[in-house]
Amino acid sequence: MKSKHKKVKILIAEDDRISSKILEKHITGWGYDVLISPDGIKAWQVFKKNEIGIALLDWMMPKMTGIELCRKIRNNKSGEYTYIILLTAKNKQKDINKGLAAGADEYLTKPFNPIELNARLNTGKRIIDLLEKLHKQAIYDGLTKIFNRREIMRILNEEFLRAQRTNRPLSTIMLDIDHFKKVNDTHGHPVGDEVLVKIVSRITAKMRAYDKIGRYGGEEFIIILPHNSIKSVKKIAERIRENISQKSIQTSAGPLKLYVSLGCTSTENIEANSTEMMIKISDEALYNAKNNGRNCTVVI
Amino acid sequence: MTEKKIPLDFDSALERTGGDKDFLYELIDMYMEDFMPKYDELKKAIKEEDFTAIQETGHYLKGSAANLSLSFLKDAALQMELAGEEKDIKKAQETLDDLKKEFARLKTFISNMD
Repeated sequence: MKSKHKKVKILIAEDDRISSKILEKHITGWGYDVLISPDGIKAWQVFKKNEIGIALLDWMMPKMTGIELCRKIRNNKSGEYTYIILLTAKNKQKDINKGLAAGADEYLTKPFNPIELNARLNTGKRIIDLLEKLHKQAIYDGLTKIFNRREIMRILNEEFLRAQRTNRPLSTIMLDIDHFKKVNDTHGHPVGDEVLVKIVSRITAKMRAYDKIGRYGGEEFIIILPHNSIKSVKKIAERIRENISQKSIQTSAGPLKLYVSLGCTSTENIEANSTEMMIKISDEALYNAKNNGRNCTVVI
Repeated sequence: MTEKKIPLDFDSALERTGGDKDFLYELIDMYMEDFMPKYDELKKAIKEEDFTAIQETGHYLKGSAANLSLSFLKDAALQMELAGEEKDIKKAQETLDDLKKEFARLKTFISNMD
């Protein structure tokens, strides 16, 4: 998750150095980070290396025109949305139409008025902020702030393919809070929610930096551990379990003793040959853990 | 074009450059520095009847002049851009003289300002 106060990066692709100097002066003064390229090809290289929030593209540039660059940016599916403002000379209605058709969000005629430019940038910032917010809502669980089920499954697919490519093991842990329903029934759902949040932080405290966690269902979580063998997944699962069982969880209804059951597998299990099978086998292991009396880890 | 009109609308240029005089002078210097190479490019393009180059260089000079409110230079550069677009070599030749004159006028104006 990105910090709220990060500066928006603005790419200026403009061959006229006077125009780009003026743009830079104003835009830097308004608190944005500015990157300048004198032609379309250089701008494209800068674009690929940076997370550009807003791109100001001059229409007429040597090597690659603003419109070609605009199309390239729109065809580039990775990363977040870039708000594109095309800079054109006055009275070029045809150019404006073409630019908007190529995916530009907005245009500004040169020489531009600084107040108008500032307003346009604010519009762009508003839109990218909204899209970022929407994106966050689409991939994170609102309560626990970890990935939601759809996103963690997407990540699992990605990691599975990477593991196959690199020929390194990948492990999964399915974790379920024991007798969670009792918490809700006895103390009410708000306390149940507190428990979920606190358990998540106990889990993440024992994960490695590159492990990923998602909320799979109500009180069920899945942890994805890249480059992790079947032996070490058990160790990590046990560390997580102990971190939850050893100390009560503080809630507004007082301290509560809670336990979790964990089911693990790894791609080293030859049957775990697809993400569906990994989920199925982890689930089975979790089921066995529950049958073994809960508060334990089973690896298959 | 009346010779009485000043080549640079100082107030409007200052507004566009954020009210910073030193910055504006720096940009004007930059323009003066850029002008002659562009002028030579135009001369060559006209000689070779390279209309695309005439149009592009005209466009470039128009844009930078407009940014600094150099309205006469901007108009001349616009004519050059159009001459390229219309493939009118005679017009391009005539406009080249206009550009040179306007640039000379700007130079005089700037040196008197100092």
